[in-house]
Parts: sequence; C-alpha cells; structure tokens
Amino acid sequence: MSSKIKKLVDEARDSENPELDLVDKGIGNILEIPGFASLSNLSKLVLAHNKITSVPPSIANFLNLETIILFNNHIEELPTTLSSMPKLKILNVGMNRLNSLPRGFGACPVLEVLDVTYNNLSESSLPANFFCLDTLRALYVGDNDFEHMPPEIGRLKNLQILVLRDNDLIDLPKELGDLPRLRELHVQGNRLTVLPPELGSLDLVGSKQVFKAGSNPWVTPITEQFQIGVSHVFDYIRSDTYKYLYGRHISAGASPPQKTNDKSKKISRSQKKTNAIVANSPRVIAAAAAAVVVVDVDQRGSVVSVSDL
Amino acid sequence: MTTASRRRQQLFSLQPLDSRTQSPLFQRRRLAQEEDMGHAPQLLSLNGHAGAGGEGGPSANMSLGNAVCERCGEGFSMDEEIINCNGKVWHKECFVCAQCFQPFPEGRFFEFEGRKYCEHDFCVLFAPSCARCGEFISGRVIKAMNSSWHPECFRCFICAKVLADEGFVKNQGRALCRDCNANEKAKGLGKYVCFKCHCIIEGGHLKWKGEVYCPYHFNCYTCGVELTADAREKDGELYCLRCHDKMGIPICGACRRPIEERVIHAMGKTWHVEHFVCAKCEKPFLGTRHYEKKGLAYCEIHYHQLFGNICFVCNNIINGDVFSAFNKAWCTNCFACSICDRKMNQKTKFFEFDQKPVCKNCYDKFPSELKKRLKKAYDEALKLGKSS
Repeated sequence: MSSKIKKLVDEARDSENPELDLVDKGIGNILEIPGFASLSNLSKLVLAHNKITSVPPSIANFLNLETIILFNNHIEELPTTLSSMPKLKILNVGMNRLNSLPRGFGACPVLEVLDVTYNNLSESSLPANFFCLDTLRALYVGDNDFEHMPPEIGRLKNLQILVLRDNDLIDLPKELGDLPRLRELHVQGNRLTVLPPELGSLDLVGSKQVFKAGSNPWVTPITEQFQIGVSHVFDYIRSDTYKYLYGRHISAGASPPQKTNDKSKKISRSQKKTNAIVANSPRVIAAAAAAVVVVDVDQRGSVVSVSDL
Repeated sequence: MTTASRRRQQLFSLQPLDSRTQSPLFQRRRLAQEEDMGHAPQLLSLNGHAGAGGEGGPSANMSLGNAVCERCGEGFSMDEEIINCNGKVWHKECFVCAQCFQPFPEGRFFEFEGRKYCEHDFCVLFAPSCARCGEFISGRVIKAMNSSWHPECFRCFICAKVLADEGFVKNQGRALCRDCNANEKAKGLGKYVCFKCHCIIEGGHLKWKGEVYCPYHFNCYTCGVELTADAREKDGELYCLRCHDKMGIPICGACRRPIEERVIHAMGKTWHVEHFVCAKCEKPFLGTRHYEKKGLAYCEIHYHQLFGNICFVCNNIINGDVFSAFNKAWCTNCFACSICDRKMNQKTKFFEFDQKPVCKNCYDKFPSELKKRLKKAYDEALKLGKSS
C-alpha cells in the first residue's frame, strides 16, 4: 500500500501536478505519506475516505494549498495553524470525529467554503472568533449537535449557502435575516417550531434559491403555509398577523420539543469513550506547561525571552 | 360720498369754451380762429332789433340790401331775423351746427377750420379726452406722459395725490409724486434694471449678451414659450430649460440632468460617469466592463451572481461550458465529486448531498444510518413534489 502511495506522490512531484489525490488509500497518518513534505507547491490535497486521526500542524507549511478535503476520516482535532494558511479557500473535514474547531480558526484569511458536515460540533465548540470568517460563502454544518446558532452568524456577510440540516436546533437567530446574499438555507431535521419574522427579508423563493425546512415540528400555521408552497411561508412570516403570533409564542416560552433523532449510531460517535480521554489529555498538559513558562512578548509581537520560573 | 358725486357732476358738466378757458390747446386754436374770423357771433335783426350779444362790432356798417346767407346763398325777406356774425349773415335756420344741424344752444358755437359746431359736437370731434376717466376735457388740460388729463385726474400712481400744480417724476412709465418716487428708488436699490424696459426686475433676471433683462421679454428660440429666469443661452440664442436640455447636450439616464463633464454612452443612453452603476451593488463602473440584462447594467460579479454563471468551486466567472445542477454552476474544470474530487462529466451519475454532487463510489461509503436518512428525506421530497 505504502509503495503505491509513494508512486502517486512521486508522480505528482515529477509532473509538477499541484493536486494530490490520495482517496481511500488506508492512510492513518499524514506524516507517514512518503515524500509528502517535498510537495511544497501543492494547491489541492484530497485525502477523503482514509483513517487519518489527526492533521499535523506542519500542514500550514504548504503555503499554496487552496483546497483540503479530509472527508470521512477519524480526525478528532484540527491544528491551530490552519488559520495561518494564506490561500486556503476550501476546507472539507466532513464525516470526522471533530468535537471542536481549533482556537483562532476564525482568522483564516480567505476561507470561502467550510464543510464540517457530520461531526460532533455544537455552539460551545466554536472558537470565539469563528464568525470573523467574513469571506465565507458556504458553510456546511449538517449532521452536528447545534441547539442554537449564535446570533453572530449575521456577521458572515458573504454567506450564500448555509446548511444546518439534522442538528438539534430549537430556534434560528433573527440575524439570519442580515445575510443579504444567502440563497440556500437548509434547516430540515431540527426541532424548529417557528421562524423569526426577520427571515422575511431573505430571498429564498426563486428558481435559483433553495430553502429546505422539512422534518421540523413547525407550529400549525407555518405547516399550513408549507403545504401551499415555500413562497407562501415567506409571505406569511412577513405579515403582521405572524409577527403578532410570533411575539406571543416567544413570550409564552414553551419548552422546546424533545429530541427525536437517535444519533448514537453516527460513525462520528464511535469510540466515544477513548475520544473523551484523548481529547482531554493534551489540554491538561498545555495548562501545566503554561504554569511554568513565562513568555515575554514585546510590542511588535516577537518573543523576547522565555524564562523558566 | 358727497364730494365724490359732486366731482362726478363737475366731470360730466360741459364747461363753456371761451377766452377764460385755461386749456392751452383751445386757446391756441381760438386765437388762430379769431385772427381769421373775428369775434363772437352776433344775432342781428333786419328791423334793427339787436339780439343777444349784438351790441358793438362791424354789424353797424352792414348793408342788407344785397346780402345773402353764408350757408344757402339766398337773400333775406324784409322782416326776417338775420344773424350777423363777424360781418357775415345767415338765415336764422341756416345758422346751425355743422355737425348736427341744430341751432346752437344759447347761441354759443365753436369754430374750427371755418366750420361752426355746437359745444357738444366740438368736444366730440376735437376736445381731448382724459387718459384716466375717459371724459372730454374742457378747460385746463394736463398734457403729461403722452396723454391728456383732467387736472384732477392726473394723480400720483401710488398715493393718488393730485399732481397738476406740484409737478411729477416719471418712474418706470408711471407718474409719481416726489415722495413716492424717492420711496420707489430706495426699494429698487440692489435690484437689476431691465436693459429693455428699464424697470426694476422683480424675481429672477435673465442675462443675455452681457446685459440683464426681465425674462418675459424673450421667448424660447425652439418652442417659443415665454422664458423664465432659468432659461439658458446657447450660441447667442435663448432657450427654455427643457429645450436647452434636449439640444445636443446629453442628459444623464439616471439623474435626468444635463451632463457637462465626461459622458458615458451605454445602453442607448448617456450617463454621468458616477451615475452609470451596477443595478445590484450601485457602484459606478468607472470604465470597467459592464454586463447588460433586461435593460439593466451589472458589474461582472453581480451579473454572474444573479444570472448564475459563477463556478461554485473556484468562484470564478465561467467562460465556456457550464455544468448546472442543484441551483449551482460549475466550470468544466471544477465539476467533480464534492468528496473525492474525481472529475465528472455529463454522463456521470451522481447523488445529491446537501445540494452538492457526490459520486456513487463516495455515496456507497456513507454510513448506512446516513444513507437511510437521506433515502427517507428523498422519498419525502418526492412525495411532496408529487402531491403539490
């Protein structure tokens, strides 16, 4: 197997092909790909359907990488160095075992498409600066564990596609109405009962637009509008009647519908017990390290001195 | 009231014209006639009875034997009343007004160019009429402002003070007393005076060939409408704003105002540089390429964004063949499985996953619980599509 991979890498290097296709090669560790470091001008890396458990921080040394596809692997954590990749536009880490996104991930300078479908992410696992990704035009968060979408989503002004399919969403933030370019919204398979009236400002009913909202416990008036057609739903949530009903519904504060989907069979959940241990241990070490090292940083941000206490 | 009615009586009653009449015109005429004709009429009688006003004059020397009537040329019978006037004689019935052929009331007549008129007809024919009240003027006539006036009719245009004795000042075609004239002058200070009518220009003025005019003295060279202050001069002619805007001077298709600087010609219209903008983002093209669709112009980005030819993967505008699926477009280079990135073509079968294409190979690798859910959602969508 390894010799076959080596052949592919060598081919790519010799032909100066900036795209490396290593789909379904049983790779467990990126660093074990023979000759991988020599492909420094790689622009596309496709490692779908492998057994990769972690992405090395050195991936950021591939300064020309624009596309990374790591779909269907066993990745539990991404390196923080990803956010320093100057050309990274498309990152697909769907169908992995991610419990969080790395700290500072929102600093990715040119990220346009982020696919984290089918992981174990929730609102608490997003880094604080996540919604600084204002270059993002497509965000795929289907098959995750979000119960609330943070209102900061309204800052992703370039977002055109937002997939929130099959999460545990109880409500949608009204700030979705602030996304003027949104033309595709998937919210099917959640626990949604009402739509914020602010979504009426979105244009999601044309032939170029997509609005998927099935498999939600919608309140009866919305269900009725869905039966006539999607455009009627948007007409309805723009109406004063609905705004009034919505206000009453919110102030009534009804308890959210129960989860109905059983996620235990998701492959992102497998080996959950070992996951928990592996995920926690590096943080403990990091905390311990911070206690004994003082790093002085001058105003220009370069390290001046590192001293042991 | 009483003074007004009295004045009207005065105005309407005819004053006798004689040497006491103060009208200089009449006096001039009267003197000229007197030189020719002698004096006032005399009523004579052949049997020596002198009529009214008959004393004195040349009648004493009259020989009546071969005298004939001035008018009809007939002789006189013995006891007929003869009218003698300035050495000429008339039958009583011939001594009448040259206009109405009626005897002169109270024997008073007015003579002009050898003809005698009763007072009424003389006034009708020769007396001046007042420019204010329109009645005949006998007695004192005020000649001013190219018209004749009764002394009591010639008044200040503003304060109506009688001006006959005090004198007046001509101001913009009006006769004013000195006080009112001073006031008017003060009011008009700082305003333009029309070069044509010399009036102070109220409202906007019109400049033409270096002079200032009341705008209404001019008409539009094209449409003939009376001009207002916003008229424009072009090549020495004056035009109303509408016509001026239409003439060769381009009008911006956005703001509808004339373009005086750089002109953009596009979409069969003209535009201010900064007004020719993308219909979506409203940013000016500033000379960059624009795309037209249904009478609207778009920048490259928004044209393709709206009309769908930006590649979903590389985010570039697609020149050439376009793959369209799931409300997205791909360039031939980028159309591939969204998971394994294997190239696809028109014949490749693929699955839909979050509105992205997935090849059969990749789809088969999906965990069975996901495939089950996708299948269920697909069936539901199909059912909904059929029912609606």
